[in-house]
Amino acid sequence: MKLHPILAALKKHKAGVTLITLQIALTLAIVCNAVFIIGQRIDRINRPSGIDESNLFMITQSWVGAPSGDDEGSVEKLDSMQRTDVATLRNLPDVQSAIAINTLPLVNSTWSGGIGLKPNQQNSTAQAAFYFGTDQMIPALGLKLVAGRNFTPADVNHMGFRGHNRPPIVIVTKALADKLFPKGNALGKTIYVDRDTPSTIIGIIARMQVPSPNSWANDWFWNSVLIPTRLDAGFARYAVRAKPGRLQAVMQEAPKALFASNPMRVIETGTDFDETSVHSFADIRAHAYRADRGMAILMGVICLILLCVTAAGIVGLTSFWVGQRRKQIGIRRALGATRSDILRYFQSENLLIAGAGVVLGAILAVGLNLWMMRQFQMDRMPVLYVLTGMLLLLALGQGAVFAPARRASKVSPVEATRSV
Amino acid sequence: MLKMTHLSKVYRTEVVETYALRDFNIDVKEGEFVAVMGPSGSGKTTFLTIAGLLESFTGGEYLLDGVDVSNLGDNARSKIRNEKIGFVFQSFNLIPDLNVHDNVEVPLRYRGMKSAERNQRIQESLERVGLASRMKHYPAELSGGQQQRVAIARALAGSPRLLLADEPTGNLDTQMARGVMELLEEIHRGGATIVMVTHDPELAARAQRSVHIIDGQAVDIAEEPRFHAHDSHADGAQVGA
Repeated sequence: MKLHPILAALKKHKAGVTLITLQIALTLAIVCNAVFIIGQRIDRINRPSGIDESNLFMITQSWVGAPSGDDEGSVEKLDSMQRTDVATLRNLPDVQSAIAINTLPLVNSTWSGGIGLKPNQQNSTAQAAFYFGTDQMIPALGLKLVAGRNFTPADVNHMGFRGHNRPPIVIVTKALADKLFPKGNALGKTIYVDRDTPSTIIGIIARMQVPSPNSWANDWFWNSVLIPTRLDAGFARYAVRAKPGRLQAVMQEAPKALFASNPMRVIETGTDFDETSVHSFADIRAHAYRADRGMAILMGVICLILLCVTAAGIVGLTSFWVGQRRKQIGIRRALGATRSDILRYFQSENLLIAGAGVVLGAILAVGLNLWMMRQFQMDRMPVLYVLTGMLLLLALGQGAVFAPARRASKVSPVEATRSV
Repeated sequence: MLKMTHLSKVYRTEVVETYALRDFNIDVKEGEFVAVMGPSGSGKTTFLTIAGLLESFTGGEYLLDGVDVSNLGDNARSKIRNEKIGFVFQSFNLIPDLNVHDNVEVPLRYRGMKSAERNQRIQESLERVGLASRMKHYPAELSGGQQQRVAIARALAGSPRLLLADEPTGNLDTQMARGVMELLEEIHRGGATIVMVTHDPELAARAQRSVHIIDGQAVDIAEEPRFHAHDSHADGAQVGA
């Protein structure tokens, strides 16, 4: 198919050609960037937290009429209540492990602070989240120790909720270790979790996400510190791992067992993520990323609508042109064009329009990405997105034009003899 | 060159069958210039569209250049139209989006001809109709007579064996019509076979032979006495056989 006569014909339909070219260009620019954002959201949603999430659930509960935790006696009482609960949970036949912990990754409840390398350091070297628990934290959560050792029971102490955090030893994530000691020699080094109390790094774990999934924690997302301290408060969180296949059953049994042990507590059941609840980790993950998922779905729907509107535009314009050029098609057929020639004519015409559209769209897509990089600190979109988008739009154009082009190819050559 | 025997064309709807051509016979020899006349609705245009392979027929036989075209597929019919037949239509049928050069080029492109040969043929055929200087003009920039001459150039460029003209002067004033007719006569003198449908007895008189189509049947005007002697409406008349 020679392009010169098609180009000559298109020059006579500048308005339609310009509009559809712009539509294709804008669609490409928006779809490329939207798909890139969707991809980033999906990556965020799917990133591993660092803990073994299978068969894991969390109970958040509060005691009714619990001791204040402001004096040593009430702290001891709270600690005793907490240890009783953990023992109750561990005694359930379908429970594999149970620990008390202040928070978990993706639970939007964060204990965090600055880490320094010197006492009373003015500006901290890194920001990190703190997980308070016992020597059972690492095995119960399936954390991977890559250097050093775990806490021993003797390392673990406890304190009231409003107590002063002075851990003599800590375990940190590799990301935090590398941030604090870029040369990779963090093990055994001293850091200052509290402003003036030295803490020795006795172990390094591969990965553990901070509790908040929100963007404010993006810069220190993998900076976590495990502290061998039981936090004693009027509320408690328990991370419980059920035996394989028994998650739902244990999630039912556990609150009952806790109530049987001590009825003076509040544990809500249901789907709401309130202060006191029982939720599987799968639900916690889904809840944490619901905004990302919603955004990805919304953008996906917008992309789909845009692509449909563009395809409809191509179908509409080509159908209009086929109707308008029926006589012309008949003349071409009378002069020797086969049905395939007519089909190819309209497909080539669409390829030219869509080709111009995707070239313009590629420029717009890159421009839009650069603008969003400046305005919203977005990442640079890989060129593969634009190339794939260009191919997609060209294929969409060819798909959309096929039906009207096929109708055109069926125009009889006798149309040439009909008066308009 | 063109021979139709007992040919019929029926248009069917759910309730009625209409015979556009019935037991239609005609034989046009190579190099002949035949005028086809007849009242409106007699079947002239149907004959021309079937002769030009623009439309299929219902029954009978049609030999074009010795080839039985009854069972040819769409692609084969397109190829014959492209290589053997040249069309000149009443309303010129130029493609308005293309200039004169590109209009004449259309059938040559479908033939897959190389660019150099195409350009040579376009140049020659436009020179023949006296419009070589208007190659870059669009149809809308030409007079009716000029447009028809471009259409004739387009038909001639492919060196067809048969030129089919449907009221070629029907949309032209007398002076322009005369020019177009002279051009057709010149083309005929060059050896082309021409079948021209016309209402105009004066134009028909300039052809070698005239054929009347009445109620879908052909009657050779030269054999008019036989037409009157027989009930040709019922039997039909074989022309030139």
